[in-house]
Amino acid sequence: MSTITRTLRNLRRAGLKDALHQMQHIGDTKAGTLIATDRYGNKYFENLQDELPLRTRWVDYKDYEYDASQIEPGWHAWISYMVDKPPTEDPILKTGVRPWELPEHRQNMTQTRGAFKTYSTVKPKISAWAPQTAERA
Amino acid sequence: MSCIKPSYYQNGGYKLTTSTTDTSTDVDKFVSWARNGSLWPLSFGLACCSIEMMHVSMPRYDQDRLGIIFRASPRQADVMIVAGTVTNKMASAVRQCYDQMPDPKWVISMGSCANSGGYYHHSYNVVRGVDRILPVDIYVPDCPPTSEALLYGMFQLQKKIRRTKVTRMWYRK
Repeated sequence: MSTITRTLRNLRRAGLKDALHQMQHIGDTKAGTLIATDRYGNKYFENLQDELPLRTRWVDYKDYEYDASQIEPGWHAWISYMVDKPPTEDPILKTGVRPWELPEHRQNMTQTRGAFKTYSTVKPKISAWAPQTAERA
Repeated sequence: MSCIKPSYYQNGGYKLTTSTTDTSTDVDKFVSWARNGSLWPLSFGLACCSIEMMHVSMPRYDQDRLGIIFRASPRQADVMIVAGTVTNKMASAVRQCYDQMPDPKWVISMGSCANSGGYYHHSYNVVRGVDRILPVDIYVPDCPPTSEALLYGMFQLQKKIRRTKVTRMWYRK
């Protein structure tokens, strides 16, 4: 829950410009340290002291029309509390892009032209039952 | 490096030329803002999916902060979340509740059972997908979907509402 004192305290800490930006995008004022900016431009913040559990890490999306799938896998693990360290410091994620990975992160393309659609030319795997009735004697 | 993005974000995919289109786009934005601000679902919990649906309304996910408040009556609801297996016996009740909802109305099909019958697809008394009796807007996969998945489905529905051309299509007609 956000109280007036909390809102004003975070407004003072974050500064007027950032606080207005947060009210427009997040709907709350939050003050914390900027951990890193990912390849796309989303900014990731952390404040382990003042925030409630599970609200200590948050993202400031680059787009106003944001989508949770714009977060890359490594950052998704960090923001979901699967790992302690952000992917910039995580040794496993230092390997870079492996050959079987997509070179670019792809957001969820549902409801768009990029959405997955099967080819209509594929033969259907099931066929309707056409009953054959025997002639009555 | 960039994130591959769909192209509809700019002006809903349409090139705006006339002032009428501009005005109706603004009106549409207002309409979608109003609809997104209070998306009241009718909780149609039929099976274990409804437990996950309940989690969404509980403090951890806290749908109330988004203006999503469960209504017990279909006459007050905007969106119907069909969570769980729809049996043949329940099908008429599901359809009746849908018919009682005021327009505009949307349907979220939650979980494998509501999407396609799922685990009970070959059962003799199960509707093989709620889309056989209702027009479904959003399908949330998995068995059962997590609360995050349902909330993500709600956001997808809000995105769909935002893209709906209400007055623009009315003007074109």
